[in-house]
Amino acid sequence: MAASARTAAHGLLALLLVSVGSAAADDAPAKKPGVAKSKAVKSAPAARMDAAALARLIDQQVNSRLEAEGVQASPRADDGEFLRRAYLDLVGVIPPPEKVTEFLDATNPDKRARLIDELLTNPRFGSHMAETWSNLMLPVESNNRRVQSGPFRTWLAAGFNKNTPLNKLVHDLLTASGPQNQNGAVTYFIANPTVDKITDNVTKMFLGVRLQCAQCHNHPFVEIKQDEYWGMAGFFRKVRLSQNPNKAAKTGTSVGISEVGNVGKGRKAPLPESAKNVPARFLGGEQPKMNPAEPFRPVVAKWLTSADNPYFARAMTNRVWYQLFGRGICNPVDDMHDGNPPSHPELLTALSEQLKANDFDLRYLIRAICNSQAYQRTSKPAGNNKDDKELFSHAAVRVLTPEQLYDSLTSIVGQGRVALAPKRKQAAGQRGAGGPRDAFIAFFRVDESSDPTEYQAGIPQALRLMNSPQTSSAAVIERLAGKGIEPRQVIEQLVITVLSRRPTDQEIQRFTQYVAMQDSPRAGYADVLWALLNSSEFALNH
Amino acid sequence: MTMMDNVSRRDLLKLSAAGVLGVSTSGWFNVLASRAAETRRQHKSCILLWMDGGPSHKDTFDLRPGTAQGGPFQQIQTSVNGIQISEHFPRFARQMQHAAIIRSMSTGEGAHGRAKYYLHTGYKEGVGGLHYPSIGSIAAMEIGDRNNPMPNFVSIGNRSYGSGFLGPRHQPLIVNSAARGVDNLRPLVAERQFTSRVGLLDELEQSFHRTHEAGTSLAHRTTYQRAVTLMRDRGARAFDISGESQATRTAYGSGAFGEGCLLARRLVEAGVTFVEVTLGGWDTHQNNFNRVRQLSQQVDQAMSQLVADLRERGLLDSTLVIWMGEFGRTPRINNRGAQPGRDHFPRAWSSVLIGGGVRGGQVIGRTDAEAATVAERPVNTLDFMATICRILGIDYTKMNQTPIGRPIRIVDRGGNHIRELV
Repeated sequence: MAASARTAAHGLLALLLVSVGSAAADDAPAKKPGVAKSKAVKSAPAARMDAAALARLIDQQVNSRLEAEGVQASPRADDGEFLRRAYLDLVGVIPPPEKVTEFLDATNPDKRARLIDELLTNPRFGSHMAETWSNLMLPVESNNRRVQSGPFRTWLAAGFNKNTPLNKLVHDLLTASGPQNQNGAVTYFIANPTVDKITDNVTKMFLGVRLQCAQCHNHPFVEIKQDEYWGMAGFFRKVRLSQNPNKAAKTGTSVGISEVGNVGKGRKAPLPESAKNVPARFLGGEQPKMNPAEPFRPVVAKWLTSADNPYFARAMTNRVWYQLFGRGICNPVDDMHDGNPPSHPELLTALSEQLKANDFDLRYLIRAICNSQAYQRTSKPAGNNKDDKELFSHAAVRVLTPEQLYDSLTSIVGQGRVALAPKRKQAAGQRGAGGPRDAFIAFFRVDESSDPTEYQAGIPQALRLMNSPQTSSAAVIERLAGKGIEPRQVIEQLVITVLSRRPTDQEIQRFTQYVAMQDSPRAGYADVLWALLNSSEFALNH
Repeated sequence: MTMMDNVSRRDLLKLSAAGVLGVSTSGWFNVLASRAAETRRQHKSCILLWMDGGPSHKDTFDLRPGTAQGGPFQQIQTSVNGIQISEHFPRFARQMQHAAIIRSMSTGEGAHGRAKYYLHTGYKEGVGGLHYPSIGSIAAMEIGDRNNPMPNFVSIGNRSYGSGFLGPRHQPLIVNSAARGVDNLRPLVAERQFTSRVGLLDELEQSFHRTHEAGTSLAHRTTYQRAVTLMRDRGARAFDISGESQATRTAYGSGAFGEGCLLARRLVEAGVTFVEVTLGGWDTHQNNFNRVRQLSQQVDQAMSQLVADLRERGLLDSTLVIWMGEFGRTPRINNRGAQPGRDHFPRAWSSVLIGGGVRGGQVIGRTDAEAATVAERPVNTLDFMATICRILGIDYTKMNQTPIGRPIRIVDRGGNHIRELV
């Protein structure tokens, strides 16, 4: 239960910070920490930096804090570590074996930078980003069992692969209308069909603020009043679904999203009991003049994605950082307020400013981060940094997501082998259309708000991986060992294929010794393959 | 600590050759079961018989025969004077002294998905952005034996409501088919080879953990160790109902539900804290009376045999058996289709609690002449969950931490357990 103890301590710390802060102020009454206010002083736009310069800035900031705290930094990850990590983080799958040897043997000094560029323009980059976002934006609930996530991921993937600026992408997303089969983006509103649900998700994803608590009462930890919640919710009050998604699924028609001028046609989004009738208002900001006959969402979309918005660039930056490090500069990633300060405030500000200065170019931001030393550190602790989580002294060890696990497994053993329990009706928790990949993902699914550095699977998952056909593939052994190749080479190929690196001499010795002791070489290799596929080194992103 | 632990490799091979690690018959299981019963007497178990779809209360436990909307079923006397139930539960009727019927359930949610979620977790789906744990996971965590190699929550049948924010340790082990047992419990290779490869895996795990010292890899390794331990645990024999005599299997009934109840009994004997067995088909918008009759007959046979077996083994007082669905059905019969039916109805319905130390032989609450509204002593979802917790010895006011930093009570504020029962 370390996580709960940590979160409890975290919450307690936040409260303590507040009380300490108030004790220090002379006559000021105890004040809860607040979120950014829209009327903050606008500083002059930062001078634009290219990705390489930004990478250096990242390191300067991270290293200066490490020095200040007296924490040692771990050395650079070796090529195999880096290759695998970059592949998993950017395209969601381990590298193919040919790529492993090619990269390990390449001698050009800029090979890492080139690899990053290559991965960013790989079509899988778009689908991997899309899936990551989709998992956060389309809640898995019983009401949504019939809502197809495919169109949403397709739309998002197209945007990421075209490198649509983030502000435009999010703006189009928030104002999406029409039937789902023509505009996949509307899925966001179909899957969050009530005012409170969409408000919770929009603020969490794009403002980095958890408003849920304030739905029913004033937020207990942060200065957000119930009225402020319903002020934001006001922008989504006119959104209507054209029909019930369950009905649409049965008749094979598409659900549409529109904003109605007045109460009229289309499925009315029910308001929860806690709803308050207050005029639409920007979070921490003003109440804009709204034309009751016009759609409301464009107003909030414009505010949210504008360069002046105090939340958006920071939230997006923090989220991208979180995706690459397993931990935000502000952590938890969607809980950005004064009571949860960033570990590197100047860094977060600088990154956000540069994102804006570079027209919200996502690839630019990722390029800068991935080229930094901070990103490229090994995950092995060194010196005194073993317990550091916050200072990026070494890379975090994260768990492969169910999607990464499935895609990586099938790339090794082929799709047919990843067999499942006999087909039943759609399982609880299944997001997609219901094929083998979706069923696998549902079986391994973890809570989307859980910590990526915490291993979440249980006994059923371990049993499945150990004892079902996917980790015992004779075909792979045939392919690698069939031509009468030397044991040493077979071992090397197995390790390259599964762990994306070359085995050490010690490992080669141990594995060949093991194989020699088994009933047959085939059986021995099968055991080695099985052990590799079930190992921590395979199951984790390190 | 390696997976080999106290047993040397050679011993393990010997045992394996002797068939000890293979399927066992008689002897072992009884010994283990009684040992498990010993340790478990300190805390209770629960078998939730989940009637998926919302069983009609007016045709099972709260009848109005002879009225315009009463339907064709008659009532029969039970072993408790004054309590009458549907004629299609003749065997269970003789066990009424161990049971309490709650006729005043009133829970508000009338949509299947939301209602099932609500009645499993005590929380409404999606509120506060959390995934709430089901009562099975709560029980596994609060009263389950931490050292039990067997999982503390097993779900037999299709759907399961999981551990939510309580994390993977308390996820249910799903058994899709009682006849088939646990998926993937047996290795794909011979026992000897399996043992060998497990040893190799453990070497890899130790090596990785040595260099990375990450909590993640430790957790990964521990989970695998537990899985392997379960595979080897003699208690896992409990999952195999083929060990039971034909007579027993016939007594429970031949369908999936009967097999599920039999498996549930074996699991409770082996020390599992919470077992859920699903019987679907109760969503009788059409053809209500034929279907309810057939389902009731299945329940009557399996449930009464389960109760009798538990009693015979001295386990009834420590095992709570719950019969319930997600809501009841409309007091008015609909004649939309070829055969009359009833629709969803959460406003007033019935559930049954048997054993577990409950003060049996009583009816809690009362509905009106039509079984349409609660006339006396309403029991809402929170009260119901609080009651279950109380019976099982769980403090339902206890708070649990969640990933968003907000503590959540096991049962939300406002729930009060039914004092007449506990």
